[in-house]
Formats: sequence, C-alpha cells, structure tokens
Amino acid sequence: MYWEIIEKAFWSGIVGFGFATIFNVPYRLLLAIFVTSMLAGIVKFGTLYFNVNIIFASLFAASLVGFISIPYSRFKHTSPFVISIPSVIGMIPGYFGYQTLLGIMHLAIGHKTNSQDIDTLLFITHNAINMFFVLASLSIGVSLPWLIFREKGLKKIKLTNENDLM
Amino acid sequence: MRSSKKLTNEMAELLLKISAMLMTAGANTNRILLIINKFSVLMHVDAQVFINHKAFIISLTDKHNGDKTTQVKRLPAHIINFNTLSGLSQIAVLAKKEQWSFDKIKKEVEIIDNQKPHSRWMVLIAVSFAGAGLSILFGSDYYGFLSVFIGTFLGLFIKQAFHHKGFNTYLGTFAGTFISSLSTALLLTFIPCKNPDVAIATSVLFSVPGVPLINSFTDLMDGYFITGMVRFIHGLLYVLSIAAALFIILYLFNIQRL
Repeated sequence: MYWEIIEKAFWSGIVGFGFATIFNVPYRLLLAIFVTSMLAGIVKFGTLYFNVNIIFASLFAASLVGFISIPYSRFKHTSPFVISIPSVIGMIPGYFGYQTLLGIMHLAIGHKTNSQDIDTLLFITHNAINMFFVLASLSIGVSLPWLIFREKGLKKIKLTNENDLM
Repeated sequence: MRSSKKLTNEMAELLLKISAMLMTAGANTNRILLIINKFSVLMHVDAQVFINHKAFIISLTDKHNGDKTTQVKRLPAHIINFNTLSGLSQIAVLAKKEQWSFDKIKKEVEIIDNQKPHSRWMVLIAVSFAGAGLSILFGSDYYGFLSVFIGTFLGLFIKQAFHHKGFNTYLGTFAGTFISSLSTALLLTFIPCKNPDVAIATSVLFSVPGVPLINSFTDLMDGYFITGMVRFIHGLLYVLSIAAALFIILYLFNIQRL
C-alpha cells in the first residue's frame, strides 16, 4: 500500500513537471515544482488511504502547495503562482469531468425508460458536484495562504469602516 | 537629452508593455497591479491603470513636474508563459533593490520579451509523460500509460501545429483533443488495459485550462469581477472544446458504460 502511494506521488511529480514545461516555467524552478507536486501527491494519496473524502484530500494537498510556494517564491524572486499552479494541475478532477460528460451523452442520445433516466441524472449530478467541489478546493487551497498573509489581503478590511460594509 | 514630456510618454509605453506582457503570460490582476506599482514608484510617477482582457488604459502623472499622459494598448493573443511572469517579478525586486534607471529597466524588459520558449520536442515529451502519469494517478496500468503517452504526444503536436498556423485557439484545442482521444481509443482496441475509460479520460487533460480558471477565481476573490468573469468564460470555452471532441469519440467508439 505504501508502495502505491509512493508510486502515485512520483507520477504526481512528473505531472507537475510536464505541465510546468507547457507553461514555459524557467529551468531554475522545474525541480522545485517536481518536489512540491510530489509532496502534494503524498498528502493527497496518503489522506485518501485513510478514507478521507477526495474533496478534503485535494484541499489539504492544494493548501500545502500554496503554503510552500509563498516562502519559496520569495527565495527565488518569482510569483508564487508560477510554482503553485503547475503543482496542483495534477489534481484536477478529470475523471469526474469525463463521467459527467458520459452521463450527459447518455441522456442526450439514449432512449431509456424514465427510471433509468433518473438514475443517469443522479449519476451526472453526483459527478458534476464532485468535480465542482474538487476544483473549488484546489483554487481555495492555492490562494488560501496568499489571502491570509499578503499585505493587502484580508487585513485591509476593517469592518468599522462604512465603505467596507457596502 | 529627452524632454520630460517625451520621457513620461516613454514611461507610459514601457508600463503598458510590462502589463501587456504580464496579462498575456497569465498573471492575475492583482499581480499585474503589484508589479506596475513597484515600477511606477521607482520611476517617480503616479500610475492609474484600467485592466481588461483585451486592452489596457494607463494614465501617468510625473511627480516632479506634473506632466500627464494617457495611453491605450490593445493586447495580442494570450499565450501562457510563466518565464515572462517570473522574469518580470524578478526584475521588479532587483530594480527596487539596486535603484535601476528608466533605461536599464527598459533594456531588461526587452531581454525578457525576447527570451525563447522551451524547445517544442522537450515540451512534447514532458507533457506526454505528464498526461500518461495522470492515467496512473486515476487508476489505470502501464499499458494504459503507453496508449495515453502516444495519444497525448500526437494531440499536442496537432494543437501546436494549429497554433503555429494561426488558427482559432478553441479550434486548435478541439483538434488536439480529438486526435489525442482518437489515437488513445484506437490503441486501446489493440492493447487491452485496466480501466480503459480512465485512459481515454486522461488523454485529453493536457489541454485543460487550469491557469484561466484559477486566475478567474483569484480575480473574483480580489473584487475584479469583470476580468474574473472574462477569464472564467475563456476557461469554459476551452472546457467546451475538450468536451465536444470527447463527446464525438465516445459516440464513435460506442463507449456507453456508466
């Protein structure tokens, strides 16, 4: 079982590396992206092993990437997104998207009874909701540290000021 | 010696060029404003910027002599390039630290603008490994890995060819994903593997619009609703192109298993 997690974490690293090249990330950052993607893979597949829901597993992994990318980007004088975006692309809910599409195709071109159509609708809804929440947790996870810590983030908002409440 | 008015105009042009480079390279709105602010402080000007997906308006006021100028620039096609983004972030920090002159900043921006992207073959091979790696992550085996590798390679090759010929970007994505899923599905009819549907699903993921979608979310969080919505629609059109290609393949190969 541990071997499987390590294998998947390694391929997460390769996925991060590959997407970094398609986004034309400079050579000096490619190794860093490999490592952050691999760590994200360990967190994601490790938490999935303990039966954590995939939405939370993705959120934990993406937050880890977000938190690592901030100090590392300061160190390398780059934007945190250059490191974090390629690292989380490997966690996109591609299979949920595929299943949603398959369900929609069934509904569009199949000739079924009402009860079978309701099953298909439930299948589409289940996959689409999962897809949406995994995507949202990736976006939130990546921008979470940046929303909390950056100078002009949430600290700027003071609820005593009338303008902030409008 | 340049007149101060001419210098203000040149500064506006340079700042517009920097923001256009950042926008087309895939920076979010907040990052663009942050970098523009850093440079304008260094040049002793006050910069007010209107940011849009397709055009920028900048209004500069020289703090020394009060010269004002307003310029508009239309943006070229968006091509994600984190090298530009990283380079500009880097020189923004260095320029502040070493108090660069206007001419020095201009020269360094030119150097970043003329940098070449990674070689086409390196991108093709790295992305094919990435696509194939995704099939392992989603639960396929190494036969599936091989099919997805070949499919992604061919699909990305076609997508790049469409891009070089200047076709519409969504059409290029459609053609690329169509070829990748077609070749993967064809290979899978000869090479049986574990979870073949996973292999077909992952063969199209190389063109997933991760950057527009994540940037759209962060823009919305920062209150830049218009750019956020525009980026979301841009990402959605990519998703629709991918879905259309995949839909045809699923129909042609009669893949119906729910």
